[in-house]
Amino acid sequence: MQAFFLILASMLVGGSVATFTVVGLVNSQTAPPDQSPASVSDPTLDYGTTN
Amino acid sequence: MVRRWVVPVWAVLLAVLLLGPALGPGYLLTYDMVWVPDLALRSDFLGAGTALPRAVPSDAVVAVLDEIVPGMLLQKVVLLGTLVLGGLGAAWLAGRSTLARLVAVSVYVWSPFVVERLWIGHWPLLLCWAVLPWLVREGVRLRADPRIGATLPFLLVLGSLSANAGLMSAATLLAVGATRRTAPRLVALVAAANAPWVVAGLLHAGTATSATTGSVFGLGGEGSLPGPVAALTLGGIWNAEVVPSSRTVLALPLALTVVLLALAALGARPLLRRLGRRTTGALCALWVVGYAVAVLSWAAPGAVAWLASTVPGGGLLRDGSRSLALCAPLLAALVAAGVERCADRCTDRELRVVVGVAGALVPLALMPAATWGISGALRPADYPQEWADARQALGAGHGDLLVLPFTSYRAPEWNHGHKVLDPLPRYLRPNYVVDDRLFVDGRAVPGEDPRVPDVLAALALPTPTARAHALADLGIGAVARDRTVPTTATYDAEVAGTPVFTSAALEVVEIDAPLDQREVPRAWWWALGVAWAAFAGLVLLGCWNVIHVMLTRMTTAVGSG
Repeated sequence: MQAFFLILASMLVGGSVATFTVVGLVNSQTAPPDQSPASVSDPTLDYGTTN
Repeated sequence: MVRRWVVPVWAVLLAVLLLGPALGPGYLLTYDMVWVPDLALRSDFLGAGTALPRAVPSDAVVAVLDEIVPGMLLQKVVLLGTLVLGGLGAAWLAGRSTLARLVAVSVYVWSPFVVERLWIGHWPLLLCWAVLPWLVREGVRLRADPRIGATLPFLLVLGSLSANAGLMSAATLLAVGATRRTAPRLVALVAAANAPWVVAGLLHAGTATSATTGSVFGLGGEGSLPGPVAALTLGGIWNAEVVPSSRTVLALPLALTVVLLALAALGARPLLRRLGRRTTGALCALWVVGYAVAVLSWAAPGAVAWLASTVPGGGLLRDGSRSLALCAPLLAALVAAGVERCADRCTDRELRVVVGVAGALVPLALMPAATWGISGALRPADYPQEWADARQALGAGHGDLLVLPFTSYRAPEWNHGHKVLDPLPRYLRPNYVVDDRLFVDGRAVPGEDPRVPDVLAALALPTPTARAHALADLGIGAVARDRTVPTTATYDAEVAGTPVFTSAALEVVEIDAPLDQREVPRAWWWALGVAWAAFAGLVLLGCWNVIHVMLTRMTTAVGSG
């Protein structure tokens, strides 16, 4: 039982570090540009976007 | 000794890790979060304006507090303090085990609800989220000792700075703490804390209905998760722009859902044993209400929109996922109890520590994009110097202020191109009229301020002089024009007036036309006066109780010395 928890905990801690690294790298490389300002033809800016 | 500080240090560390650059110099301006160096108190902040009083009482409270603490510092204190307060409150819910307390802090603070509401700038809602566990604690105490105590009045004030927040704070305190003996007193306290927005809302009952298009604000899905599943881990905000990338890519949100639910299931029995039936039952009831309201806005957006457009005040339900704050205390307490139960099965002390650390890191590992100001999305900015000069030149002004272009949201270059509710009206000193329509997915969600159509009609008049007279008839005495914002004739037009400040980016003119001052009915002032007196009375009661506790302790110390 203890071995199971040890393996599970190790996976979680190791997974945390790995996930932080991978997602951070992906984010930094694929981040969209800053939001562009409203266009001249339509100066209203969307408050948000739904899915 | 070290153990005593582990949990507070972890709460502070998580808050700093989450806010990151937002704690640096400058003002964090993101969507609805607008803080300025010195917010001037004005009558509309008390609820006397023509628009629906959405920022009552938060704006007035900030306007008073920033007379003591500069606006920039106050914002940092509020943001950091909110997250730390919330984390420490959750730690109390987790009992005495350091391990469980660490997990509770992580689950409570590092949650999609906190990240998304922080990004969209709903800080009064976050303050409510932060005080909920403390209100649970007070509720438990009150059942044994019905005295109000020193902290409860302050908790209620902090938790009632907006309408939704006030309702959730009230529900939490009453659900946990109300007994036959305490109920009348608690109802009175809750009524006082909520009086400003309730009375201001009642005075605007004629316009206190929202458009049916407001259904866009319902609970939304995140990535591969449909809304009701996303809500299980407290995600599901309507605005996809403020969802951290970790919630939309890979299987991270799914993994978070599975892990948290499994741990919560494990923690159910120990939590019931520790907190007892009454408190656990109240937490469960609050969870059901919070989740049901959120899911209702997803499952039946038309019904919610109908309610919002028909029943005054029904609009409080339209942003459905706000109510998920009510689910947060139970979730954190259950997951913490679940991890503690896992750890208890380990006989080896070191293994217990590993399980605890793993449990505390799970929320971070499965939502890493929240790190360091949501991967840099939260960056403070400095206001242009011209704004300070314009404020100085205009002063208190005569009549209300109109800011052109007549649109509500901006994405200024000096704010890193990030969207924010136009800060200029709050930066300057007079009451103001702004376009309260919202645009979502390119579609307009109509606002409630009856002056907005009149302003648009005035701007459509053929000459600057005609526009000036029409605006003056609406009580508008000054016009500020942000020249850096793209515009069209519908939202901007020249108005005849005397320039009081002119620069390349900003222009302020006082209108050259007889001003028809907007009159606030005397009955309104009486009603608002009573409401604000009740609110202020609650603060004074808290202060009195603090002094009383201090005096009692000093007397005891002297007596025992």
